[in-house]
Amino acid sequence: MKRIVVVIIMSAAWASGALAAESWGLPEEEKTRFEATVVDAQCELTGDCPDRCGGGERQLGLLTGEGKLILPLKNVVPFAGATDELLEFCGKNVIADGLFSTNRGVTVFALQFVREAPDGKWRRANRFTNQWAEANGVDPKSKTAQQWFRHDPAVVKVIERDGKLGTGK
Amino acid sequence: MNRYGILAALLAATLWTVSLSGAHADARHASAKTVKITGEIIDSWCYLTEIMYPLGTAHHQCAVWCAAGGVPVGILSDDGTPYILLSFQGDGQSVANPALLDLQTHHVVLEGQSFERDGMHYLVADRLVEDHGITNMTYEDYGIQPFGE
Repeated sequence: MKRIVVVIIMSAAWASGALAAESWGLPEEEKTRFEATVVDAQCELTGDCPDRCGGGERQLGLLTGEGKLILPLKNVVPFAGATDELLEFCGKNVIADGLFSTNRGVTVFALQFVREAPDGKWRRANRFTNQWAEANGVDPKSKTAQQWFRHDPAVVKVIERDGKLGTGK
Repeated sequence: MNRYGILAALLAATLWTVSLSGAHADARHASAKTVKITGEIIDSWCYLTEIMYPLGTAHHQCAVWCAAGGVPVGILSDDGTPYILLSFQGDGQSVANPALLDLQTHHVVLEGQSFERDGMHYLVADRLVEDHGITNMTYEDYGIQPFGE
C-alpha cells in the first residue's frame, strides 16, 4: 500500500510541475535516459504499419540504436499510458527520461520526460490530462480532469454495467 | 586490381549489404508463433510492477481505468507468462480499445500470433475462442485496489 501511495503522489507531483526526476519506489528501479526512435510496436514486430504509427490507437515503442525495443507502459498521469506523449514524435528520435523497473523477470519502462533529439525542449509526459480534458470539455486543472479515471465515459459505462468488481455486484 | 575489378568488388559489396538488410527485416518480422493462450486479461503495468495486488475482482476497476488510459492490456497465461496485446480480433487498436475494456479480468482463450522481443512477450490476438467471464474472485482477500472504494 505504501508503494501505491508513493507512486500516486509522485505521479501527481510530476503532473503538477516538479522538474527533477524522482523515484517511484518500483521494484529494481533504475533511473534512465536514452535516445531512441518512436515506432509503432505492432509495425515493428509484424510489418503491419498504418500511417502516423496508428494515429494514437496503437502502443508505441522506443527503438534504440542497438535495435532494442522498449515498450513504455506508463506516463506520469495516474492510470494512463504513454501513447499520447510520444505520438507527435512518430518516426523521429527522442530522448526518453524515466524509470526502468524489473520484476517477474520482465523489465518495464515508465516515461517521465521526453524531448526530440538531439536538443528539443524537455516536456513532462503528462499531455494525457490536457488531451482528455479537451476531449471531454472540462478544465484540465479541474478535479474532474485530475481524476479523469473516475469520470471517463468509457469507464463509467463499464463500471455502471458490471460493477467495481466486474461481476455485476 | 583494374577498374573493372574495383567496380565488381563495389557491386558485390552493395549486393551483400542489401542482402543483409533484407535478412534483418525478415528476421524482425518472421519470429511469430501461432499460439492458443488461456489466461486472465490483465493490466500490464500493475501486474509487472506489483505496485498493488493486480489480479481478479479486487483489481478489476483499476484494470478498467488503466485500459481506458491507454496502459497496455495483457493476458497472463495460466502458465504464468504475461503477454502484451497488440491487436484483438483483427482490430489493431491497442490503446483504450472498448472491446478490451469489456474483457478486463475475464479468463479467456485467445488464438493468435505471439512474438518475443527483448524480454517481452507480445500477442496479436486474432480470435477470442472462449470467454469464461471473471473467475478470479480476489475481492474477499484484497478489497478494492488501490483505494479501497
